[in-house]
Amino acid sequence: MSTREIEHVGLSHSMKRRKQITNAAIYVTLSLLCIFWLLPIAWLVLSSLRGETKEMYTSYIIPKQFTLWNYTSLFTDTKLFSFPRWYLNTLLVAVCSCAITTFLTLMVAYTYSRLRFKWRKRFMNISLVLGMFPGFMSMIAIYHFLKAIGLNQSLVALIIVYSGGAALGYYVAKGFFDTVPKALDEAASIDGLTRNGIFWKIILPTSMPIVAYTALTAFIAPWVDFIFVSVIMKDNYANYTVARGLYMMIDREHMSEYYTRFCAGAVLVAIPITALFIKMQKYYVSGVTGGAVKG
Amino acid sequence: MSANINTSAQGKRARKIPHTDEHRPKFIHQLANGGAETWLSAIIFGFGSFVNGQIIKGLLYLASEVGFILFYLTFGWGYVKDLLTLGTVQQGWVFNEAIGIDELAAGQNSMLILLYSVLTIATLVPLFMIWRNSVKSSYLAHERKLAGIKQPTFLKDVKTLLDLRYHMTLMSLPLITLTLFTALPIIFMVAIAFTNFDATHQPPGKLFTWVGLTNFRNIFFDNPKYKNSFGGILTWTFIWAIFATVTNYLLGMILALMINKQGIKLKKLWRTCFVITIAVPQFVSLMLVSRMFADTGIVNETLKNWNWIKDPIKFLTDPTLARIMVVIINMWVGVPYTMLMTTGILMNIPADLYESANIDGATAYRQFVSITLPYMLFVTGPYLITTFVGNINNFNVIYLLTSGGPLNQNYYQAGDTDLLVTWLYKLTVDRSDYNLASAIGIIIFVIVAAFSLLAYNFTGSVKKEDQFS
Amino acid sequence: MKNLRKIVSVVLACVLMMSAVSALADKVTLKVWGSNDDQKVLGELIEEFKAANPDTEWDISLGVVGEPDARARYQEDPAAAADVFAFANDQLIDLVNSGALRRITLNLDQIAAANTAGSIESATLDGTLYGYPKSADNGYFMYYDKSVFTEEDVKTLDGMLKKANEAGKKVFMDLSNGWYIASFFLGAGGQLTVDENGKQVCDFNNANGLAAAEAIKAFAADPAFLTGDDSVLVGMFGTTIAAGVSGTWNATVIAEKLGENYAACALPTFTCGGEQVPMASFIGTKVVGVNSQTAAPLQAFQLAEFITNEAAQVKFFEQRELGPTNIAAASNPAVLENIALAALSAQGVNGVSQKLVLGGYWTPAEAFGLAMENKSTEDLQSLLDKMVAQIVE
Repeated sequence: MSTREIEHVGLSHSMKRRKQITNAAIYVTLSLLCIFWLLPIAWLVLSSLRGETKEMYTSYIIPKQFTLWNYTSLFTDTKLFSFPRWYLNTLLVAVCSCAITTFLTLMVAYTYSRLRFKWRKRFMNISLVLGMFPGFMSMIAIYHFLKAIGLNQSLVALIIVYSGGAALGYYVAKGFFDTVPKALDEAASIDGLTRNGIFWKIILPTSMPIVAYTALTAFIAPWVDFIFVSVIMKDNYANYTVARGLYMMIDREHMSEYYTRFCAGAVLVAIPITALFIKMQKYYVSGVTGGAVKG
Repeated sequence: MSANINTSAQGKRARKIPHTDEHRPKFIHQLANGGAETWLSAIIFGFGSFVNGQIIKGLLYLASEVGFILFYLTFGWGYVKDLLTLGTVQQGWVFNEAIGIDELAAGQNSMLILLYSVLTIATLVPLFMIWRNSVKSSYLAHERKLAGIKQPTFLKDVKTLLDLRYHMTLMSLPLITLTLFTALPIIFMVAIAFTNFDATHQPPGKLFTWVGLTNFRNIFFDNPKYKNSFGGILTWTFIWAIFATVTNYLLGMILALMINKQGIKLKKLWRTCFVITIAVPQFVSLMLVSRMFADTGIVNETLKNWNWIKDPIKFLTDPTLARIMVVIINMWVGVPYTMLMTTGILMNIPADLYESANIDGATAYRQFVSITLPYMLFVTGPYLITTFVGNINNFNVIYLLTSGGPLNQNYYQAGDTDLLVTWLYKLTVDRSDYNLASAIGIIIFVIVAAFSLLAYNFTGSVKKEDQFS
Repeated sequence: MKNLRKIVSVVLACVLMMSAVSALADKVTLKVWGSNDDQKVLGELIEEFKAANPDTEWDISLGVVGEPDARARYQEDPAAAADVFAFANDQLIDLVNSGALRRITLNLDQIAAANTAGSIESATLDGTLYGYPKSADNGYFMYYDKSVFTEEDVKTLDGMLKKANEAGKKVFMDLSNGWYIASFFLGAGGQLTVDENGKQVCDFNNANGLAAAEAIKAFAADPAFLTGDDSVLVGMFGTTIAAGVSGTWNATVIAEKLGENYAACALPTFTCGGEQVPMASFIGTKVVGVNSQTAAPLQAFQLAEFITNEAAQVKFFEQRELGPTNIAAASNPAVLENIALAALSAQGVNGVSQKLVLGGYWTPAEAFGLAMENKSTEDLQSLLDKMVAQIVE
């Protein structure tokens, strides 16, 4: 970068002008795109503050009346829809499945990246193939397996479901591990570390971006999935996650009554994820670029 | 791949008693040369270990054998015995005059018979592996005895799980969950495609049974309704996947280029603006967007208020417009991801490439076409393939935006924006046509797998994985 | 062989008696499904039921599954579904075919005598009663704004459209919905029934059907026509919308929006092949059934009967304005004065039972309606042929 900047010192006047014009054009484009991208979000936030709570359709964007009732009633009117309970459910499921998924994924990725054993290639190919089946049909079977061991409609079942497929998501992490120099392992091996030791003491510490990336994606999944929860929980509302609960608020029966509260709930879900994303953006970027594309 | 961990590990192994696959004689050889205890180990698991003083190991083998037998006797056989017919006793009623109501004479449940049969048959794999290991470890113990080498203690055996056999430790848990929650359900689903498990054969009230290839024949040849729908939906699925992938990729890259361009300030702010849309769950944002573009939605109402239009624009209810709209809205969803990913890679492009281009006086467009794009395509080849496959199966965007609508009169239970996956979903959830859905699921899989294999083989950037560092 | 069967049934009976007796001592666990709007009333009814049967220890839970979704949710896992659940009677055939419902054998005569013949018929298949009628309100009629339309205007669809155009208002009907669009076809004399093999029969593509389709096309092309779902109807009634086809479930909201201009009547006539023909409508009931897989059938029957008896139906009417099927409850003066229910019963003359509509009807009919709303230029006859081909499978 620095060499290029030095070069630019000598740019002619006209080129400088042209550059200013391009930059101005870029600013304008970016601003327009930003507006386009943020408009639905802004509408969501405004709807969540709307005082006209009985109206689903409004032909205006800015509410006539502002209120926080939509937010407060999510926490006070819990007889039918217990938002706080859903929120805690989701948090619990997200934390547990995030921990389990991260470990499973990294274990598998490390194995495929570093250990050589007879079935390695075969396992990798099988994983690749399994990942290509559309997931819906398997849900009935999963439900009945969980029911057979007495776990249907419980949060434990949900944690299992979210972390059960972890062994398929090794791809990005393996790509990342592949880029960690093998010389590190060798040196450690000479120092007498077992492979277990190498995994914990050498590979993991040098791969924090991918750990963060894996954890982040695993943590977010329970907050946004509404299909698996429906299959597992069915009519057990107490064990719903926020995503499923919110989705219920906008079904045919509840929509007109709960629409503004749905918006408020959605904002409350988006806040922690946005915060996490902004905080971890750096890791996310280096994780995904390091892993997915072997850059 | 010069002297790395593998070679050093192999060096260690060579000095030890044969413990690895490469040096292990064939199974028959083991049986023949392992002494009487090895023969017995094939029937009573762990016998050889007992005889040679490895008590804990032997107990573990024996316990697993007993466990399997109990499982088959108490659970597995009850289902597997009916696998060929999927049950013959249908639920019935007996009127009970004493209390004045019907008594349920419970019938067999075809679905559970199939599901648990799959589970039971799958357990033969671990059983077989344990059996092989029982024989093998007995043989090895026998060999060690002959050579006069002390048998390793149980603790020592366990310790190898942290080093030489570390892959077993790491893989066992992921493999178990993978088998139970991905592999077996898929086998079950594949089996369903060969049955008549549809709306009129719903357990537990009704039985269903094997019908061979009927479902596939219906889709491809016999039933014009399915045939038309399948052809149309498949074509659209591919058009969609191509457009969705290409638009997201290019726009995401251009966005990243614009933000990363030197001289552009507030890079972090710009990026955050776009990243926020990732953080809002898709079912929320897409629901909102579909409301915005509804016939009486805010976009149409606003345009009407401004007197730009008289009749609402049918964004999501006109077949062609709806197809265009889903691709456009999909950009809103996907571009931030591509932007994040390409941001990192763009920084890796060697700067001297651009410098020489600058000196040659190449325009920004030329630089993009002849430097950025080829480099990106080279590096992100695998990513593009996965995205394409992901778009073929992009359930969320289509289902939440249009639910596949507007409905098409020529299709069976499907609309103009329906992808194969959303069609499959609707067939299962709305119509309970599991057999048809499973058959479609298999077809999707075949298409996706064939495509991926082809693409992977033609992509230059799929490097030999060991050629790193 | 015969003896054996006798012995078995005697033994079975003994076992059942014992289980019935022991059930008195044990806790009885039941689950009930009802729509979101019914939750409050159902909750109260369950408490009353418990109080009326103090000998048993009850554990009755209440879940939200609306009547239209009952079949789909039931089939996801019958064993985990509710013991007692409400469903719309057009799901009766599908539910019975999949062995989901217990037939009703207890107090049969009293139930038949207490409810209107039509409602009993709506829950009966091949002479067997499969559910307790809960409400007779699964139908639709016309709501309108008295300040825009006179009683004369609302007699014909043409008259309504003319008046609406003059006033710059809209007439709402969800044409892209099989339930509503059938109104034209059935009015023109179309048949939608089930043959002896249990297959759907539909003749909407004959000459009558074509005449109806032309009327639909003209209606959809009228500037005063507006379509959408319930949220559009409710959101715009009184401002943009001056008249709309809907059912009793929207009565409270629409009455609130229109104030003293609130009115409702039977559906108007439409021009079908040059003549004025009354629009027909589906008439359905909501029925409470007992899950075939329930562990406590006797108690489930007891509960199902209790939440559909006269007192319960009065309660449902008072709190929810649901039209009673119970004859005594229906003769209540308040019921007779209810504007929406009066319109519903006036429409009943041209009502067609919804029981014989199978699940395969809805999507093709919706697709046809959508083509009309989109002002498709395709030949009407071929559109109709396609629709019927899909419906009859």
